[in-house]
Parts: sequence; C-alpha cells; structure tokens
Amino acid sequence: METIIPKTSTVFSALLRADLTTQWRNRRGAILSLMVPVIILISWKGYIAKIGGTATLANSLCYGLISLGLMGYSNSIARDRDKGIFQRLRVAPLPSWAIMMSRLAVQLIMILIITTAIFIVGFNVDKITLSPAGYLVTYFTAAVGGAVYLALGQAIVGLTKNAETVNSASRLVFLAFILIGTFGGLGALGPQIQEITHWTPYGTVETIMAVGMAPTKWDMNATNALLVTLGYIVVFATVGIKQFKWESK
Amino acid sequence: MNNQQDSILKVSGLNVQYGSFIAVKDVSFDVRKGEIFGLLGPNGAGKTSTLSSIEGLVKFNAGSVVVDGFDAREKPLYARAAMGVQLQSTSFQPELKVSEILQLYAGIYGVPLTKDKLEEILKEIKLEDAASKKFGELSGGQQQRVSLVISTIHNPKLVLLDEPTTGLDPQSRRQLWERIEAIRERGHAVVLTTHSMEEAESVCDRIGIIDHGKVIIIDTPQALIEKYKNDPEVIAVSRRGRVTLEDVFIALTGRAVRA
Repeated sequence: METIIPKTSTVFSALLRADLTTQWRNRRGAILSLMVPVIILISWKGYIAKIGGTATLANSLCYGLISLGLMGYSNSIARDRDKGIFQRLRVAPLPSWAIMMSRLAVQLIMILIITTAIFIVGFNVDKITLSPAGYLVTYFTAAVGGAVYLALGQAIVGLTKNAETVNSASRLVFLAFILIGTFGGLGALGPQIQEITHWTPYGTVETIMAVGMAPTKWDMNATNALLVTLGYIVVFATVGIKQFKWESK
Repeated sequence: MNNQQDSILKVSGLNVQYGSFIAVKDVSFDVRKGEIFGLLGPNGAGKTSTLSSIEGLVKFNAGSVVVDGFDAREKPLYARAAMGVQLQSTSFQPELKVSEILQLYAGIYGVPLTKDKLEEILKEIKLEDAASKKFGELSGGQQQRVSLVISTIHNPKLVLLDEPTTGLDPQSRRQLWERIEAIRERGHAVVLTTHSMEEAESVCDRIGIIDHGKVIIIDTPQALIEKYKNDPEVIAVSRRGRVTLEDVFIALTGRAVRA
C-alpha cells in the first residue's frame, strides 16, 4: 500500500469543521465578547450627539474586537496548547501553518459576525446608519483591526507558556485598552494623553474604523493610522509566531 | 517505497540536545514489519525524546530517522503519513464528540469516513453508544481505545504508542494488549514505550533498554532474561526466586530512583 499525503484542501476543511464546531459549542464566550460593545452602544446613547454615531460605533466595535482577540483567541490557544491538542495534530501529515490558519479563519468569521451584530444593535438602539460603502469598508477595517488584537493575543501566548498566566495577562491588557479608550481617547486625561492614545493599537484601529464608516472622509490621518495598524500587526504577529511554542512544558 | 524491505523504521545515530542537556546520544535501532518493539527506560532516560524525534515533534541534532523509506527530515509529511501516533497524554478538543473527533482525524489523514464505516469503527472498539459523547466524558480505558483507533485510522505501517496503558485497570490493559497484537497481526510494526516490565514481556517481540540517552541493549525479552539470569548483579536484585525482565532492567539501569 502506497503512502498518500492527503490534499491540503481536505485537511483544511476537516480542521475548519472541527474548529467551527468548537467555536459554536463555546458560543457563550462569543456572546460575552458582544456584551461589552452592546453595553457601550446603550450607555453612550447620550454621547452620540457630542462624538458622533460613527465614533460610538467604532469604539464599540473596537471593544468587541479586543475582547475577541485577547480574551477569546489567546485563551483558547493557550488551553489547547496546555492540553496537548496541538501536539496531537502535529504528528499528523499536515503542515503546522494549516492548524493556525484554520483557527484564524474561524476568528475572521467571528469578526464578521460581531461586526454585523454591532451594526444591527447600533441601528436598533441608536439609529446609526452608514452608506453601503461605509458598511463594506467597515467590514474591511474590522478585519484589519481584529487582526491587530489577534496578533497581540498571539504575542501574549507566544511570550507566556502557562495558560493561567495567558488568561491574566490578556485580561490586564483588555482592561488597559478599556481605560485607554474610555478615558484617554475621549480626552478625559488631557490632550497629550489623547494624542498618545490616538496612536496606540486601540487608537489607530478606532480611527480607521470611524473614518471607514464614512469613506468619503478618508484622509491622510486615516491612511497613517492604517499604516501604523498594519505595523502593529507585523510586530505582534512576528513576536507571537517566533516565540510560540507548541507545547507548554 | 520500500515495500520489499523488512525494516519499517530505521533510527541511526540519533542525537537530541535541549540546550546543554544531551537527552539522546547516538541511538540506533530498527523495527521490522509485524514486530512489536518496546522501548524501556527509567524516567528521563530519553524514551519520549527518541519517540518525539521519530514523530517529528522534536528536532534532532544529528542522525537520521527513516519511516517506510521516507527520511523524516527530508519528507516529514510522508514519514508522518506512514505512521500512527498515540501520545503519552493524548487530548482532543473537549467540545468535540467522539464521532466528530473520528471525522476530524479521518479528514486529516484523507480517509473517507461514511456513516456506516464510523459505526463499524465504534462497534469494533465497543463504543457504539458513545458516538455523541464528548471525549472528556469517557473513562480512561474508553479514551485509550478512541486514541488507539485514531492512531490507526489510516492503516499506517508503523504505530508509535507512548506509554499506552498507563493508568488503565488490568481488564482495559489486557484488552489494549490484544488490540496492539491485532495491529501486529495485520503486518504493521509497533513501537511502544512502557514502564511495565510485565507489559514488555507479554507483548513485545524485542525490547531496547535505554538509559542516560543511550541504548544499552536490544534483544527479545526471553533472550535478555536468559543472558542475564546467572549474572550476580541480576540475582542480587531478584525478588521472587526467579529472574524476571524487571530484575534484568533494574540491574542494567541501577536501583536509584530517577526524577
């Protein structure tokens, strides 16, 4: 009997089906990721006249993406590494990148679902509507923004072996982003902090999403924010991939 | 590839180093078709490092591993496709049901798995009622059965089992031995690591004793006992009035407890 290497597409679809099933059975986590942005959309109702509907929507979306990338993705990777699930997959005839690509594909789907859910809640609660181009560009910027937080989550998992420590570290970073966004981004801590916040992974993502919702207003500032965002992705992903160990021992 | 040859696994001059610690030193052995080869050694002797190198989980510093004619360094995917692996602490996604885990690994190994075939597999391992149970809900013995059937789902020529019976009750252990012997009957080669000398003596056709990263000796269990039965050191450690494989093992690797 000849040794056969299964097709990459067959392997990938098997992995993706399993990862989607796992994500579906863990949907409570995804619902929790959606809770923070929904609470913001409801509680910031009074601010909409002051900061604008798109800024409110962009902030909410940011929190949703941060929660997904940091709390969801990094913790699930750390748990599976701890349990030896990756090692079991790695002894099979499949390239290691396929394991991660399948995980990331599921996260991309989650980003699109969360973005859509926030659009729906934003419309129903705050009557925020965008142009068709605005919706399309926001799906793109949400994917880019989500990639920053997934890459950051990957960096945390790469730098930290213990699953409990990954959990604590990701919660801390999540909290830091909430504080930065709520106080720094809105100017409550002064203009200097607001400017610094503008160029943090939170600020640049918020900028590209807010401007992306009204694409006709896309300017140099948004382009710079997009470039910095891409830079963050490269840096975090490089650290996350280079430092990543497949087992926690 | 080398279907005409007898050797399914050939390990030559294997060296594995973690930083300054040398875990495996110049290990060589081969495993033939239809043979159960046991790798024995105290804790930290280098068994799992050797096995991990064959599996592709650990990068070895020197030497070669050839599985069914495929060099594990040059053609890692082919080498891995030719082997089935059961790791020491196998875990699957706890959210997945037994049937979904089987479907996942069938897909990964490119094995078509119809509903009938799935039912047949579950029936064979006496888990026909457990298809919709999650892996974590199974008993230790049931988990090992699922794990073993997954490692052989693609009918590999070489099966690697890292301490497969650890934590099993005598009934489950005996049943697993029968399953391992059934793999041999189909002409496949099996490499297993174990701390149980009883298991090595009962199941293995040949064993290799490894200590401090080096293979000390390779032979059949009976030949080893025969060879060392009059050795004063072996007689000194013997506890039952007759020399057992465990006595030989203790005499060769020392009485000191390893970390």
